[in-house]
Amino acid sequence: MRRFEARWGVLMALPAILGFVIFTVGPMIASFFFSLTDWQVGGQPSFVGLDNYTALADDALFWKSLSATTYYTLGAVPLTLLVSFAVAMLLNQKVRGLALWRTIFYLPTLVPAIANVVLWIWIFNPDFGLLNSLLRQAGLPTSQWVYSEEMAVPSLIIMSTWGFGNTMVIFLAGLQGVPRHLYEAVSIDGGGPWRRFWHVTLPMMTPTIFYNLVVGVVGTFQVFTQAYVMTEGGPNQATLFYVYYIFRKAFTESEMGYASALAWVLFMIIMVVTFLMFRNARRWVYYEMAGAR
Amino acid sequence: MKRRDLFRIGGLAALGAAAAACGGGGGGGGSKGSTQLQFMYWGSTFEKAAVEKMLRQYEQKNAGVDVKPLFTPDEYDVKLNTLVASGRVPDVGYVPMSMSYRLAEQGTLVNLFPYVKKYPQLAGCLPDAYLWYGQDKLHGLATANEVMLLWYAKDALAEAGVAAPPADAASAWTWDQLVENAYKLTVDQNGKHPDESGFDPKQIRQFGISSSITYGAAWYGFLRSNGADFADEAGKRCLLDTPEAIKVFQNLQDLIYKHRVMPGPGQLAATGDDVPGTNVLLKTKRVAMVVDGHWSLLDMNQSKVNYGIGVLPKYGEPFTTTQVAGASAVFAGSKHVEEAVELFAFHNDPRYVDLFQQGLWMPQEKRYYEDQASVDAWTRNAAHPPEFRTAVVDYTRGHGVPDLRNRLKNMSAVSSDVLTPALQEIESGKRPAADVLKEATPKITAMLQGWHHTQEI
Amino acid sequence: MTALATPEKTRARGVAPTAGLRRPRRYGRALLYVALLLGAIPTILPFVWLVRSALMTDTQMFVAPPEWIPDPFQWSNFGEALTAQPFGLYLLNTVIIAVVCVIGTVFTCSVAAFSFARLRWKGRNVVFALLLTGVMLPYAVTIIPTFVMWQELGAIDTFVPLTVPAWFAGAGGGVFNVFLLRQFFLTIPFELDEAAYIDGASPWRVYWTVVMPLSRPAIVVVTIFTFIGTWNDFLGPLLYLQDESKYTLSLGLASFQSVFITQWGYLMAASAAVIAPIVALFFFLQRYFIEGVTLTGIKN
Repeated sequence: MRRFEARWGVLMALPAILGFVIFTVGPMIASFFFSLTDWQVGGQPSFVGLDNYTALADDALFWKSLSATTYYTLGAVPLTLLVSFAVAMLLNQKVRGLALWRTIFYLPTLVPAIANVVLWIWIFNPDFGLLNSLLRQAGLPTSQWVYSEEMAVPSLIIMSTWGFGNTMVIFLAGLQGVPRHLYEAVSIDGGGPWRRFWHVTLPMMTPTIFYNLVVGVVGTFQVFTQAYVMTEGGPNQATLFYVYYIFRKAFTESEMGYASALAWVLFMIIMVVTFLMFRNARRWVYYEMAGAR
Repeated sequence: MKRRDLFRIGGLAALGAAAAACGGGGGGGGSKGSTQLQFMYWGSTFEKAAVEKMLRQYEQKNAGVDVKPLFTPDEYDVKLNTLVASGRVPDVGYVPMSMSYRLAEQGTLVNLFPYVKKYPQLAGCLPDAYLWYGQDKLHGLATANEVMLLWYAKDALAEAGVAAPPADAASAWTWDQLVENAYKLTVDQNGKHPDESGFDPKQIRQFGISSSITYGAAWYGFLRSNGADFADEAGKRCLLDTPEAIKVFQNLQDLIYKHRVMPGPGQLAATGDDVPGTNVLLKTKRVAMVVDGHWSLLDMNQSKVNYGIGVLPKYGEPFTTTQVAGASAVFAGSKHVEEAVELFAFHNDPRYVDLFQQGLWMPQEKRYYEDQASVDAWTRNAAHPPEFRTAVVDYTRGHGVPDLRNRLKNMSAVSSDVLTPALQEIESGKRPAADVLKEATPKITAMLQGWHHTQEI
Repeated sequence: MTALATPEKTRARGVAPTAGLRRPRRYGRALLYVALLLGAIPTILPFVWLVRSALMTDTQMFVAPPEWIPDPFQWSNFGEALTAQPFGLYLLNTVIIAVVCVIGTVFTCSVAAFSFARLRWKGRNVVFALLLTGVMLPYAVTIIPTFVMWQELGAIDTFVPLTVPAWFAGAGGGVFNVFLLRQFFLTIPFELDEAAYIDGASPWRVYWTVVMPLSRPAIVVVTIFTFIGTWNDFLGPLLYLQDESKYTLSLGLASFQSVFITQWGYLMAASAAVIAPIVALFFFLQRYFIEGVTLTGIKN
């Protein structure tokens, strides 16, 4: 470790550190204190210790929302990673009208949520919706989709996969960093496209895959919009996602104390999961400098 | 521990010494000299134009008073909670149903009772318009009146040879008459009715009726009409497991799954109550009759639907849900309470707000339902059909029961945690209404905290 | 970590069958276009839906089963929607906020990422981990304290709360950008830095002349995300702005919807108009997702 590196290191990280200390830590601490009180917005809070946290254990909706969210995360993250990686590979080829293709594949990410919802309401319509029409033509059984308790979360997973554009763009950027000479090396050795993918692309992309995995997990655990605009948590609480539940407690019922406790439990869960992912990453993520540092 | 201390802890960590110089909020601020008020509201661009016009008129009539609108198109509760927590509330504004009583009890809203007598337009309202939070404690009025009605597509009824639903409460259809007519109005792609052989319930072209099972305002009138209620007189015990209540919900469920005259969840491609609106459903004849609020009138006229208005079917005495709207209130901490109350009395006065004549709002003042000249003032125009007088004005006046959300304590938590999920189960048709309601009732009872206070003005 | 070694092993095979590649490649290309076409149908659907809805009457928009060709074409939706509110002003406000945020975010996040990826200093990983925790607490419970903080600073009804955090590595959500850039910086060969240091370069110089030019695709990603994020941000402007002359496009869009009525035709038309600039932005910026020629050259 060289002296100037340490000096410059701290200096260059300073904006980020200051931003964290000034804009993030304070509100976080405040919300942690809220979680130890019975504060209802507008009223006077009193200190209740860990009561909010112990009350969670008996709150059926806490468990319900936790399981719905976990289900969603387990479905949406791998599916989105797979689809976006595949599309990124596709859009990294030299084809005519590349700019147009890339833009088209990114479009679902850009269409505003409310316009998207109206579309998906039609897609999921049990009678004349797109999905059931296709299934009927293929002679397959149809579904109630987002209107049935069993299929509601899977339906939202399908819907969210459409927004793969952001993940795809990151993969696309990552693919530009894979050194050409490695591909050439494989080709010289007689390796085909499959081998190139398996032995060069995939290992070189692990830092990007890792990033998308972590961000995907952290993000989907906090999924909110779809439950809010599409299902309002229904039917029968099937899509009562955790953060949607927090919003309801915090702003419909103004129970900021309890909502904060809910939030801090989720914080702990996400932190543990992220920590485990980072630990596990040492086994499969390849960095240029891994050995050196 | 005080709220401010809590913030200070967070604030100190965040700001260091800067937090010590705490500002504190209060009122809409305002420079010396001219009085400045802040009016917080939501609404479409259509409503926004009407509200802005109202505020301009107020400023003209009250020289020296400046009103700044705080237009909040969405996430109203998030913003209002934040403003309350930071002591930055407006002077006058809309307050969502789920929040108004709570804020009043906490002292965030001004008790309007002492001011009411000064303003005839406030003193003479429909009894159910007043929102009381204790003896002689009044925190506001429902912003405008709204009532649930039976809308129908005239063309669809004419094609099926069905007589229009009655437009006066006395001759309202019975439930059986509703079902009977709904059969005639339900047609599949091949023109067959549900009681004919070969009827295809998967390919229904036109449904007879649509009436929400999950939206409280849509069924509360039926509940009361059948002699049932949501809770007992003390408001502490839920009564949804009584035979009368079960019958109402079983009848609704039967419309979907037994009679097949009403769309089930998702069949209209609708989530919530507004995608698509009743105007579209009737205009495209996807549905022949729809139970929906008076506010649909504006949409009906704008999309030129050939519609009619009837009263809801009855069990015993005819009832419908009224006061289906959130509160308007004056916020405590306003530096100009007198002016704020003045603005409050002004902001939903039909003389200054176009929304009444345009068919989105109904007045709260009694005289607009009783005195002929006053009734004419808002209903005698192209936006209000001829049957409006009996089907809406008289019906509201004589047969309205106020929306539960403005009457029963803790109702928003009851709805989101227990009631709505239970009703969604009934709507899904998986279990009969009796099973679902018997299971949900004790859970609701455990959450009930009594009715809100009511009194004569 | 060891995966990189695998290409070496394959070398023993010898013979490069480049000659035989021609025919399968042609099939491959046809297959490629088929795949693109198949993928494009569902992905273009939401956009087509938006545009056709924008040109329809409210009634036609919701006919079941849906219709695809507007009849008649309601071109007036666009004109009426965009004049129903001062969208020109909203556009100006939104552009100002977005541009300030993009510049601040790209600069401060890349500098921080450089520090976390390529400079060794004590506590570096701990600090990085701490920063990451900032995105793990649902923002619902920090909205109020954050608002109070800005109020104490007298910044309500200004663009300050919407733009200043961007100049501190985006604060909160911006950490994702630091993380992203860090991941990319880590894939650049370290010999490049070492060579520069030996020539007497400062870390700043290495950041500016070595790492940044090689990371253009990642910088473009951060630019796109930040721009779109601020462009569409609804809650921030809603909470912090009061005066309508400071409102942004997303607030304008939301006012076509209301508790009782939604002006669907206007909503769709205005939505289409509002996303048009970001579609164009993506169209022009995606060109940077091409292989960094420099990188290949250096490595050899």
